Amino acid sequence: MPSNNFSDIKISGSVTVVPKVKRSIEEDIELYGGNYKQVERLKRTLGFNQRRIAPREVTALDLCESASQSLFKKLDLSPIDINGIIFITQTPDHSQPSNASLIHGRLGFSKQCAAFDVGLGCSGFVYGLWLAFSLIANGSSSKILLLAGDTLSRLVNPKDRSLAPLFGDAGSATLIEKEQGGRTSWFRLGSDGTGASDLIVPAGGSRNPISKKTEEEFTDNEGNVRSLQNLFMNGSEVFNFSIEVVPREIQELLKYAKCEKSEVDYFVLHQANRYMVQNIGKRLGCDLKRFPIASFGVFGNISSASIPGAMAFELGENFSTKAKKRLVLSGFGVGLSWGSCLVDLSEIRCLEYVEYNPINI
Amino acid sequence: MEIKNFIDHFEYALDGLESGTIDGSTNFKDLKEWDSLAILTVTDTIDIEYGILLRKSEIEAFETIEQLFNFIQSKL
Repeated sequence: MPSNNFSDIKISGSVTVVPKVKRSIEEDIELYGGNYKQVERLKRTLGFNQRRIAPREVTALDLCESASQSLFKKLDLSPIDINGIIFITQTPDHSQPSNASLIHGRLGFSKQCAAFDVGLGCSGFVYGLWLAFSLIANGSSSKILLLAGDTLSRLVNPKDRSLAPLFGDAGSATLIEKEQGGRTSWFRLGSDGTGASDLIVPAGGSRNPISKKTEEEFTDNEGNVRSLQNLFMNGSEVFNFSIEVVPREIQELLKYAKCEKSEVDYFVLHQANRYMVQNIGKRLGCDLKRFPIASFGVFGNISSASIPGAMAFELGENFSTKAKKRLVLSGFGVGLSWGSCLVDLSEIRCLEYVEYNPINI
Repeated sequence: MEIKNFIDHFEYALDGLESGTIDGSTNFKDLKEWDSLAILTVTDTIDIEYGILLRKSEIEAFETIEQLFNFIQSKL
């Protein structure tokens, strides 16, 4: 189990971009056979409400490009200053080249810059931070642009009521850089590939290429419609995995960092759904006020962008002060994989979300 | 542990199921409230109350509330 800590590296800013188009679960009432009570139950129990949907021509690359431009402007930086680009996505524009290469070409980065993708979802932001911190710590880079974004709304079948109302689209850009100053960050990561089939798009890769057969829709035991090209989630297994692994991992992380739960200002968990986040909070025995979850009902589950999205949506304004802000970030999902870190975001220069607007860039 | 407590927890987990709706002989999979969300909340409740994390297939292997209760009892 990799556990690391890093000193003299900071997160300087983060911008999350969400599409303008909102879709609410009420618009999906036909999925529940017109049963308004069922929709109310999902809203009350899981926190379902609205999600953001990218137009057909907009990809995670576009959302992250827009987030990068906004971040550069806020931090008064130029792409030339960056010497590492890490792009976390499960929905790249192409199987090759990588999204990192594409954005490198679009925004005019220096050629002295490593650029690569990492194929992770809900755990990906923390993995990306860990990689960025590692590359800075080993001297490979001094400023890293971490991009994390997905358009999962395209991968779910609109007739799959277990997933269609859950996922939204978003892209984020975060700057990690070297500093003199003594703050330390702690990480813990892990994987369980035996659960790989619990969150999977069965077709469309090399193992099972797209064909007439993979396009065929079928109805599963629970009445959900999808094809092999759509995302499948074994909800009960993923739930069990999350409540078993995440509270334990966060406790181990804090033990490793010699930090008391009471010393953490916020626990920003992957915004899987409200029930999951609050459940993990209760299991940790913490005040739920320190577990942001409001962004889930506005953006939906936005996969790799959900941690920066939640920080920006709920904590953005609190960070204008110079107060010390110790945060636990924890992502968990496809792989199965998980990662948690304890970071200090005091004096972060920019933490915000904006709506995607290609005209104003 | 008494089956009455277990039934109370089960009814609570099924969100809005009125107290007294079910008893030990109820086939819980026949309840109209039994769906994927119910499986999740029941799994969670059993784990929190009794410290046993069951899989969906383990829960659904039983027919009645009493059978599920006896299984949990045997694991305590």
